[in-house]
Amino acid sequence: MSAISIKGLSVSYDRKTVLTNIYMDVAPGELYGVLGPNGAGKSTLFKAILGLIPVNTGQVLINGQSIENQRKKMVYIPQKGEVDWQFPATVMDVVMMGRYPFKRILQRLNEEDENIAMQALRDMGIDHLRDRQIGELSGGQQQRVFIARALCQQADIFLMDEPFVGVDIKTEQKIIEILKQLRSEGKTILVIHHDLSKVQDYFNKVILLNQWLVAYGDTEEVFTEENINRAYRGQLNILHKTSLH
Amino acid sequence: MELFDLFNYALGIRALIASILVGLMCGVLGCFIVLRNMSLVGDALAHAVLPGVVVGFVVGGAGVMAIFTGAVVAGLITAALITWIQHNVKTKNDAAIGIVFTAMFSIGVMWISKVAREGAHLDLDHFLFGNVLGLSDSDLYLTAGITVYVLLSVVLFYRYLFATTFQPVIAETMGISVKTIHYYLMLLLSFAVVASMQAVGVILVVAMLITPASTALLLTNRLKYMLVISGGIGVLASVIGLIITDFYNTTPGPAMAVTATLFYLLAVFFAPQKGLLFKFLYKRKTRKRIQFEDTLKQTLKLHERSSLSFLNLKERLGFNTNTLKYNLNLLRQRGLISRGKNVLAITPEGIKQATRLVRAHRLWETYLVQEMSMDAGQIHDEAEKFEHVLTDELMDEIEANLSYPKLDPHGAPIPQNDYQPEKSLSSLAINTVAEVAENQLNNYLVTRLWQLGIGHDESFKVMNKTEDFIEIQIDDEHLKVPVTLADKVNVEI
Repeated sequence: MSAISIKGLSVSYDRKTVLTNIYMDVAPGELYGVLGPNGAGKSTLFKAILGLIPVNTGQVLINGQSIENQRKKMVYIPQKGEVDWQFPATVMDVVMMGRYPFKRILQRLNEEDENIAMQALRDMGIDHLRDRQIGELSGGQQQRVFIARALCQQADIFLMDEPFVGVDIKTEQKIIEILKQLRSEGKTILVIHHDLSKVQDYFNKVILLNQWLVAYGDTEEVFTEENINRAYRGQLNILHKTSLH
Repeated sequence: MELFDLFNYALGIRALIASILVGLMCGVLGCFIVLRNMSLVGDALAHAVLPGVVVGFVVGGAGVMAIFTGAVVAGLITAALITWIQHNVKTKNDAAIGIVFTAMFSIGVMWISKVAREGAHLDLDHFLFGNVLGLSDSDLYLTAGITVYVLLSVVLFYRYLFATTFQPVIAETMGISVKTIHYYLMLLLSFAVVASMQAVGVILVVAMLITPASTALLLTNRLKYMLVISGGIGVLASVIGLIITDFYNTTPGPAMAVTATLFYLLAVFFAPQKGLLFKFLYKRKTRKRIQFEDTLKQTLKLHERSSLSFLNLKERLGFNTNTLKYNLNLLRQRGLISRGKNVLAITPEGIKQATRLVRAHRLWETYLVQEMSMDAGQIHDEAEKFEHVLTDELMDEIEANLSYPKLDPHGAPIPQNDYQPEKSLSSLAINTVAEVAENQLNNYLVTRLWQLGIGHDESFKVMNKTEDFIEIQIDDEHLKVPVTLADKVNVEI
């Protein structure tokens, strides 16, 4: 069964169409790179999968069920720019949010939740930063905080919007390793990504998007010059910088 | 009214209790209003309850509960109208707020004037500026009830308020209804406005909501502390405001608002870290420290060339005689140099501290070249600035990130601290099986290992050793650890 099944999805903002008639089956246990030029509708696709925006037509099924039923199976890591870094919250406050979905209304967070959060902090190598205000961290550390929270949520499907912006290269590589590890544990991971030069190393599947679905599938088969040209149309010059053969 | 009299009268006691409750409730609730950038909405809601008050007065026969209900309903209608316009009409968000609340407020004012002309006992001024000294027992019970309800709501629903305020989109994906929380907050806000109406009046409620909260935000980086501090400032502001009212025979609401503003101004100037005075002093201190540190560093450099003298220092630093004398005196007072007759010498402690600056400079240069891909020729000036800014902590972090380099880009040695692990990774022979010890130099070293894929208590086998790398195997994975890093890693066999 597909982790995410999209049938005839169209989305528009203010009468301007952003996504047109998308049909796609995202296989479980794979690491997808979601690629396309600016305005291709990559973030919109995520928001539609998460049920955050109204869709014009079409249907999104998660694990064969409606989004509402499967909310807790998905975790979303937004772009860094969408976060208020001055907010009076510590690293631990943020990571503990990952335990909220497991709690009934009025039920308190307990020691077990704290242990799970601490383990996630250790897994991401930031346990020594637990009491820091989030704005005091470096870009790489900030991204690790959000991944730690995602780990706490113990979800099956990860949706990450440009996780490597403002992150140092060492941390980026480590994060990719963790994503590959998660994938081997059966998690499905979708990553919006801009740097075409690393696609082959990072992702075993790609989704090429430019308002409509250009192509998707195994990286070797789909990530071809022809498909990329179709996705990026007028922006071909970007490609000269990449390592495409 | 004399203070003595005021507190002897039931009215005075009631006024005091009501003010404390209102200050506390508004202070706590205001934190969420401020953090959600909803100050204008708070103000709008406060004004817009007016027609509801009149309806309650006319229909419900001026009963406390009737006025309360009318006001809350008006508040919620306002919140809904504002949201509806913002989502469905092409009007700017803040304009939508302004349009709705001025309309509601105007209807309320016109209606009150009409009702009052017809002989009803309804004083517009009391709603606008409060009438805390005219509270009845039932008013006070209502205020107390509302305060308990609002505070209890904040405690019980804290995590929902936190999540939807900090990251509404994430809260939504976690199955928290952001819309429900928004309207619940609007309900609490309407409650708070009604309860505060008598104490400070609708025009100034917003001051009790946003001023203590903004003050608290200057004083702390944690939401829980912010709520407590803001509530405390709210209480102080209303009590002091009430005392001022008594002494100067003025109106309570404005006195409370002005007191809250004074607290805010105090925080603006004197808050630790975020206050203007702190920032100013910090800048001045930094400027002086830079002069001082430059003097120390040049002293070491001249000492190393055996040409340490006042004149040489003066030439290298470009300071005037007085500045240099001042800084040399400071160095001497701190035992970093010794000065005899025409003799200038650096002490061992001076060498140690100057070496710290050299370490910062060279580490930063290495960082710029290795991590920022800058050219070795363009980095010196950058490092001149940064050597004064880098804390020991930051140096340790950079050093770990660069795997403990021994030489800077110009080939000069980077002074390292003399830490030696009990048993270092680089000391292991090929084929040794060992694990990374719990006990390491610092957390940055642990993070660096984590980046390379080496967690603590993971066992590994040494596979190969070269001049630059030690190759180890963890599970099935082969990892190359730079020798400079391996020198610092503590292992157990």
